[in-house]
Amino acid sequence: MGLYFVNAADELVGDALAGFARAHADRVRWDERDGYVQALKPAPTRRVGLVSGGGSGHEPLHTGYVGTGMLDAACPGRVFASPHNRQIFAASRAVAGDGGVLHVVKNYTGDKINFGIAAERLAREGIACGRVLVDDDVATESDEVATGRRGTGATVLVEKILGAAADTGMGLAELVELGTDVAGRCRSLAVASGAHTSPATGRPAFDLPPGAIEYGVGIHGERARRTLAERSLRDLAEDMVGSLADSLDLGPRARVVLLVNGLGGVTRLELYAVLGEVARLLDKRGATPVRTLVGDYVTALDMRGFSLTLLAADDATLGYYDAPAAAPAWCGRAG
Amino acid sequence: MLTSTDTGFPEFSEPFRSTGFTDFTEGWVRRFAASAAATEAELTALDQQVGDGDFGANLVAGLQAALRRLGAPGVPASPPAVPASPAVPAPPAWPLEAAASAFLDEVGGTSGPLFGLLLQEIAVSVAAGDGPPAVALATGAGGGLAAIQRVGEAAVGDKTLVDALAPACDALAAQARTAPGDPSAAAAEGARAAWGGVRSTARFTARRGRASYLGERAAGVPDPGAVGIALLFASAATTVPTLAPYLG
Repeated sequence: MGLYFVNAADELVGDALAGFARAHADRVRWDERDGYVQALKPAPTRRVGLVSGGGSGHEPLHTGYVGTGMLDAACPGRVFASPHNRQIFAASRAVAGDGGVLHVVKNYTGDKINFGIAAERLAREGIACGRVLVDDDVATESDEVATGRRGTGATVLVEKILGAAADTGMGLAELVELGTDVAGRCRSLAVASGAHTSPATGRPAFDLPPGAIEYGVGIHGERARRTLAERSLRDLAEDMVGSLADSLDLGPRARVVLLVNGLGGVTRLELYAVLGEVARLLDKRGATPVRTLVGDYVTALDMRGFSLTLLAADDATLGYYDAPAAAPAWCGRAG
Repeated sequence: MLTSTDTGFPEFSEPFRSTGFTDFTEGWVRRFAASAAATEAELTALDQQVGDGDFGANLVAGLQAALRRLGAPGVPASPPAVPASPAVPAPPAWPLEAAASAFLDEVGGTSGPLFGLLLQEIAVSVAAGDGPPAVALATGAGGGLAAIQRVGEAAVGDKTLVDALAPACDALAAQARTAPGDPSAAAAEGARAAWGGVRSTARFTARRGRASYLGERAAGVPDPGAVGIALLFASAATTVPTLAPYLG
């Protein structure tokens, strides 16, 4: 097992969820039988239940964003594996409001299919179900690939904003429209100087020569399309910000929410340095980062890397972003 | 007894004939389980060439779970809440509902639950009871195809189970128009069309699913999920002991 502190590899996720529920017993419960984490104190004004999920190994995504003002439930799969449709179906039934349930789904084939099967089952039971697909990763932006951009760091921002909107009593169709709009204003890009440790082998999931940087990694330790020679943070950040700003078509007076996200194996010291460089580059373009988040939000086990996410914001978006929330891994206002 | 016909597919000289729709649906699920068990090794061998090798095991596991929900062989199928009684026959949809929920709830991966979705749509049509058996089958299978395409986004030609299910649905619909009362004949036509679809997948380069990562390397190998669909419809009439004669 190498580096990991576990009882047994196949027990890690279950053990972690039991511990997570114990640590945050005032805010969430862990339904061990059906496999989901549920918020204990959703806002009484909320009419649509918010459900997300995906593979484990991305902590604090997804369970860390269950709580007042964010998700009503999250379904964790095994490490880097989609949750089962049964988990999603059970969680959705448990948290659906009179306005139905909304799924926040990252654009990965397994997640789409399993959430889709759950949605078909919900429809069969007469529970209205909508979906917001998060697809922000510019590294996978290509006309040649039918699967489209992967869903990564933007998931956190979409979940925060939709949570605040759902708390206003917004209906399902409006939430789908809002979430789709917000997801469309988000772009991310990730780099790594070292692979995550494979839980199966205890070895790095891929080998990088010394001084090489993978430019455009995903959150499951997928190798990137490009390997770059080592360069200064300033040069690297310039490439990344350029790609993001181009893809978003950021205007000179744009206001952005900036997420500097650690992938699990990078120090805060480095992440703040990244934030400084990126903010300076955005300022230079006239695109102001009006809100910033720094830390490990969407990880890939212990991957040595970071991602940048930009959200082109407007007043309404920022209002939802600023609304209080009390989920275990959200560091905004608690109300 | 196996005989060969000019279609190139072996046929059973004495296919199962049901005396009622409930006998038909329960026998269908039981024979599907027997067909999957008999061909598991062949399915595994196919999936090891184009997927991750677990399709046969998942299909068998789902059908074993369905049989557990149905009760022991020879015991009439009935919903747990309604005790079996000669005076109160079990509804014909129940065996299909049992199989659907077994696949949806107890099978991992993605193709197993997609089979659950198909069986659920057929069960819903059968339960609605608003048409002759072959019409209910055709309507349900068509609903299942639509649901699977909504979820998985695969089209005909992508080298997935849709390549067998779509032609099977067309054949079922045609048969429902000419012989609406005979579910066995409809399923047999559906199976014939599905096997044709299976053979077509061997020629395709995969665009969806696990085989899509292999590109040209999956050429020549029929899609295991498509084989599973053909087994489903073939089992409505008979147990399939081996895949070899059908794969061409």
